[in-house]
Amino acid sequence: MKQNTSLNALPTTNSASLTVEHITQKFHTTSGEIHAIDDVSFSIADGKFIGIVGPSGCGKSSLLLMMAGLLKPTIGRVLIGSIPVVAPIPEEIGVVFQESSLLPWKTARENVEFPLKLRGVSQLEREKVAIDMLTLVGLQDFIHRYPHELSGGMKQRVSVARGFCQDSRVLLMDEPFAALDEQTRMTLGDELLALWEKNKKTVVFVTHSLTEAVYLCDEVLVMGPRPGRVLHRLVIDLPRPRSFKVMATERFGQLRNEIWDLIRIGADS
Amino acid sequence: MTKTVLLCTRLGILLGLFTLWQLIVVTGLADVRTLPLPSTILVRIVEMLGDKEVLYNLWITVAQVSLAFIIVVPIGIVAGLFLGESKYWGEVFKPFFYFMTSVPKSVFLPLFILALGTGFSQKVVFGIFQAIFVLVICAIAATETVPNEYLKMARSYGATRRQLYAEIYLPAMLPILLEGLRLGMIFNITGVLFAEMYASRAGLGHLVAMWGMRFEMVNLFAGIAIASILAILINETLRHYENKLSRWR
Repeated sequence: MKQNTSLNALPTTNSASLTVEHITQKFHTTSGEIHAIDDVSFSIADGKFIGIVGPSGCGKSSLLLMMAGLLKPTIGRVLIGSIPVVAPIPEEIGVVFQESSLLPWKTARENVEFPLKLRGVSQLEREKVAIDMLTLVGLQDFIHRYPHELSGGMKQRVSVARGFCQDSRVLLMDEPFAALDEQTRMTLGDELLALWEKNKKTVVFVTHSLTEAVYLCDEVLVMGPRPGRVLHRLVIDLPRPRSFKVMATERFGQLRNEIWDLIRIGADS
Repeated sequence: MTKTVLLCTRLGILLGLFTLWQLIVVTGLADVRTLPLPSTILVRIVEMLGDKEVLYNLWITVAQVSLAFIIVVPIGIVAGLFLGESKYWGEVFKPFFYFMTSVPKSVFLPLFILALGTGFSQKVVFGIFQAIFVLVICAIAATETVPNEYLKMARSYGATRRQLYAEIYLPAMLPILLEGLRLGMIFNITGVLFAEMYASRAGLGHLVAMWGMRFEMVNLFAGIAIASILAILINETLRHYENKLSRWR
């Protein structure tokens, strides 16, 4: 647990766009109290791509919901800049969910512009933004299609476009590619990196896939279960921009193994 | 298999059946007094649609069905949505509604006659009684079909309570609610016609029951045909809107 001490000392630099302060989460169920997350703290510098990995039940998704302002921690708080996040702040924090969160009664365009519609942006303006975003993810020919008319990969592209259209500083992604096959997953990962290289948002990416985490991220937070806590913060020192060739390098393998070891040890402890 | 081919086949089958029917009667295999000619019935239907008395009775039925529908729809949907959303009251009341759907509502008719007589209002109330259970159950089911993911997504994009209802709840529930309306309408028509046939002085059901008892076979067949056409027309109109509003399914 040596690594943990350095994490609890919070860096208070101004470049930190997102700060998680001493978050603890407890649930009351019929079979007693569940200690879901135990004193998690970290901060993320502006423009960084951060991954969160860990076994099921380590609280990584709950943590993301807290960062989105959708779940209240029992103890602790989340800050964006210096503002505490107590409710969703869509102008600052965008969220990309799994494809199953697309609204089936709306076309691709209507889904992408949905966050803007909620904010009262005019029809003309939001239509333009949505079409631009869909073009950016390569769906310019599918603007008027309903989700059931699109493939799994296309649906996830729509979902990514929806997350990006808000132009928020921070983008939270909750296992966005989990439902996709390996090939589509790789392609979308590449597309996401290309988008991110262009606008350098701060991204928090929750995933089950270690390969995906190493490939996409600047740093990876490795979490352990029962109670959920951060075991280690690993810097991914692979050069950018990255292409799939980086996966064949020795360093990639080392980093991936390092995460796997941490998860295994964390699960045993 | 194109749509027109299907349609032609169906029309052909119908035409064949009626021709067979006509032949059975013309050749004397069946007695024309018990089984009238389809052509005679068709002529009678046309005559009836110009007959003041038939039209008056038809109008009574349509008015009863419409009034019952207008009353039962808001009550059933609001009650169903409330029970679907309220954890406690939902648990309390759901079994009553589930059990009642399996009970044939027609056995309650004598009670309604004793309480309300045999007039217009009794038919309306019985139509409501027939329709309300299926409507409530469909509305409860509708609340259970709104995926949590949609709500989480909309909330994270800052949706207000009003926006959640307008943008997520309503469109997500609409297909099942419309299905409920259509099923409710079928039960409602069944209830009203049955009540008219059982004890009444007016209405299409009253005419059909009377013609049956008097052995007026041509009128009886024509009456049955008109009642069928009425029910099909109403059902298909509702189905049309159902399909139009849930194109995305």
